[in-house]
Amino acid sequence: MADLGPVTCAGCGLLCDDVTIEVSSDGVRLEPECPLGTKWFSERMPAPTDAPAATIEGEPTDIESALARAAEMLRDAHRPLLDGFENATVEDARAAVALADRLGALVTTRSLTDSWPGAPAVPLRGASTATLGEIRDRSQVVVVWREDPETTHPRLLERLGFGKSSRSARTLAVIDDRDTATTARADLRLAWPRDRDLESLTGLHVLQSGRSLRPGNLSGELKDLMDRLSAVPHAALIFGPGLTGGAGGQRRALALHELVRALCHARHVVTLELLPAAGVRGIDDVLAWQSGYGGNVDFASGHPELLTATRPLDDVDVTLLVESGPAAAEIALASLPAGPDVEVWIRTAAAGVSAAGTVHRLDGVPLTLQAPQPDGTPTAATLLTRLLAEVGA
Amino acid sequence: MTEIRISGGAVHDPANDVDGDIRDVCLNDGKVVADVGPGARRIDARGMVVMPGGVDIHAHIAGPKVNAARKLTPDDRRDAVLDRTAILRSGTGGVVPSTFATGYRYSLLGYTTVVEAAAPPLAARHVLSELRDTPMIDKAFLILMGNNQVLFELIRESAHSSGTVSPQLRDAVAWWLDATGGYGVKLVNPGGVERWKQDNGNVHTLDDDVAGFDVTPRQVLEAIGGAVDELGLPHPVHVHANNLGIPGNADTTLDTMRTLSGRQAHFAHLQFHAYGGRPGGQPRSRAPELLDYLAAHPEVTADVGQVMFGPAVTMTADAAVSAVLRDLGADKWINHDTEVETGCGIVPYMYRAGNYVHALQWGIGLELFLLGKNPWQVMLSTDHPNGGSFLSYPKLIRLLMDRAFREDQLGRANQRAIQRTALLDGLDREYTLNEIAIITRAAPARRLGLRDKGHLAVGADADVTIYDDRTDREEMFATPRYVIKGGEVAVEEGQLRRPDDGLLLSSRAAFDPDVSRVLEPLFGDRYTVSFEHYPVRDPALREPAQIVEAGAR
Repeated sequence: MADLGPVTCAGCGLLCDDVTIEVSSDGVRLEPECPLGTKWFSERMPAPTDAPAATIEGEPTDIESALARAAEMLRDAHRPLLDGFENATVEDARAAVALADRLGALVTTRSLTDSWPGAPAVPLRGASTATLGEIRDRSQVVVVWREDPETTHPRLLERLGFGKSSRSARTLAVIDDRDTATTARADLRLAWPRDRDLESLTGLHVLQSGRSLRPGNLSGELKDLMDRLSAVPHAALIFGPGLTGGAGGQRRALALHELVRALCHARHVVTLELLPAAGVRGIDDVLAWQSGYGGNVDFASGHPELLTATRPLDDVDVTLLVESGPAAAEIALASLPAGPDVEVWIRTAAAGVSAAGTVHRLDGVPLTLQAPQPDGTPTAATLLTRLLAEVGA
Repeated sequence: MTEIRISGGAVHDPANDVDGDIRDVCLNDGKVVADVGPGARRIDARGMVVMPGGVDIHAHIAGPKVNAARKLTPDDRRDAVLDRTAILRSGTGGVVPSTFATGYRYSLLGYTTVVEAAAPPLAARHVLSELRDTPMIDKAFLILMGNNQVLFELIRESAHSSGTVSPQLRDAVAWWLDATGGYGVKLVNPGGVERWKQDNGNVHTLDDDVAGFDVTPRQVLEAIGGAVDELGLPHPVHVHANNLGIPGNADTTLDTMRTLSGRQAHFAHLQFHAYGGRPGGQPRSRAPELLDYLAAHPEVTADVGQVMFGPAVTMTADAAVSAVLRDLGADKWINHDTEVETGCGIVPYMYRAGNYVHALQWGIGLELFLLGKNPWQVMLSTDHPNGGSFLSYPKLIRLLMDRAFREDQLGRANQRAIQRTALLDGLDREYTLNEIAIITRAAPARRLGLRDKGHLAVGADADVTIYDDRTDREEMFATPRYVIKGGEVAVEEGQLRRPDDGLLLSSRAAFDPDVSRVLEPLFGDRYTVSFEHYPVRDPALREPAQIVEAGAR
């Protein structure tokens, strides 16, 4: 089979658009190589020929029957939830929020069923951010804060100009007490534990103001990092759930943005948040423009309300999972088979393989997912629009 | 399609020299027609004022910066909710409303066309997606080209070889419009944003070097402004001049106007560029000088960018300005750098009547409106939401039409500032309804090259707003009785009656497709998106659109 591409890979939030795919009896091979991308395409190529179009309680059925059952469940639901969106396109997200608005449903983009990732800090003070190319071309110091992009976003460092073949004149600083594939590439390794992140951010803030820290456990490391940051006109800090997740995450994220804001007086400093999946940024953006809020939004009152704190989900009686891997839900629209407890599953076209669509990269850059192997399977957007028509009828 | 006869209203259609004549306006199949049959719906407009639908030539309603501002200001909208109805989507308001709320509220104000004035070309897919979710209005967007590194390369070659606009540069501008679905070209602080992204630098004169590119702001203005002019795009180059907000910037603004001399050009939010004084000192007004220039140069137009006292959200590609506001004590600040093309800064802001600078800005805006001789050259905007929300347009109209109200408001503003304007010099001008029709629809439509908008001659788009002729002009313009969009009644008795998607407006200019061979290597390693995947081709984003061809201006 001829190589396909170059296409955009939806294997992670990086959405590399220079990927060529070779499909053979040995499986899928990508150029440039990427383990996450290979896994993502391998799960979706070639498209299954014997998989049912839909199932109800695990039994194969046709799409019409599955849609009718799903619509009935959603109509009867007291507290519907739309969740997932890991592989959703912007078109899927627009249709999902339209359905949630009609249903008066809750939409979660930072799944409330997982451990609480922390309320976003950006609405409190803002942030300084940049697209990948800006960081690659201008940041002489790049700090990775308790993330392992070599595993979670395998081509990030390459795309930021840190090639594997030669040492860069730029500095890659990695803060992590774990030994990871990313720490192995660090020019400067800082290994304080996670529970000292807030203290270290505060310490850096003190140092950037020209004051000194009292000698202590971290003062030498913090001074080393600040000296590197202070020596360049442009720097970047990369962070993610390693910093912002869990208890105190919002406070740590806020401290990071406050530090960057302070650093920006004398130099240009930007941040990049590592979002895991291809669909995460898109649903957040769509929710923001359709509802006015990013994050988790509740339409139960007839208008959007932002959820900024954890709320028990005990009253959710129907969960509609949109373009995600297997998880507990009553209804799932996904290109991969649903979990065993899903009552209604409808197979969707995999955006990026059998359907085209728009996706937003983790830095906000919108891209097109191509359809190198198009087939007639409906997209989630198509199914959600049909559900909207059914529940509104 | 509905046939409609708007009967007996006082028609204000300045593009066709109609000034309050009592006459019927007939609509059919989305257009103004000479007559309709006896079965047409009749709207009794006796005692009412009939105008073309409003056209906003400069606002910020969609795209990544607008959306970042929404995320930044959740508290702004908790008490400004819009409930879903059987026909309408829910949403939230505040200074930066959600997309559906934006479309609905523009429509409820009688506007039928709005231009998003600053879109990063790289973000075109995002802008297009948002505009698809902005109903009721026709919409277009301008693409940012004043700090594009690829264009810098072409400008440098062009300037050094011939000193004129090279065919390659002209083709590149047309290519970018084709690649994005944009309508026009915007320059923001040419060269200065690139310098900001390097190391917080800026340019301060038109002859400063843009480090690393060997071009100057003047060369960018001449090259891009010249290319847009030569292409004959329906809207001329739309300029946010260098040194926005800095005391003494009127010199830069005049220099920019002279640099573009002989070319068609539109200057955005002129109020922010009309300051005397010295950098770092207190500003004063130099609006009269800019108006003198406009009076002598009919090829130049402007929108005002009026400041309105109250909340605003400043958002601009001119990110250095946002850093200044940050350092003035702003709680919230966003900076976002877009590779190759542009920057972005966002700061929520409050304009206070008692503050010297804010009152001066307010006064300068009114000077531009009231001292200007030709309303076709000076159009209404608040640079929404930078100077205030578009929802404040009715109050602004009252300030222009009602001298007593204006003087009352003048008395509430910082007197030291107001004394440094011409507003206390017996300025008794009151705008007429026809002049309001000019600055809010006829002139913007004409300047945008939208031949079927902004007027009511046979063949025009059936976009019509009908107001009660009320003494309180703010009330009048805040609550149109009817808004007709594309020949269908969209608003009736202050209520949205019919959802409408609105059209995307794009422009198109012919270009040599071989320009791709020039651009592709220049894209090279600069972008992190491949040249092949950069253009937006998806029909779901691009269509349906009304295409306005270049050359028809």
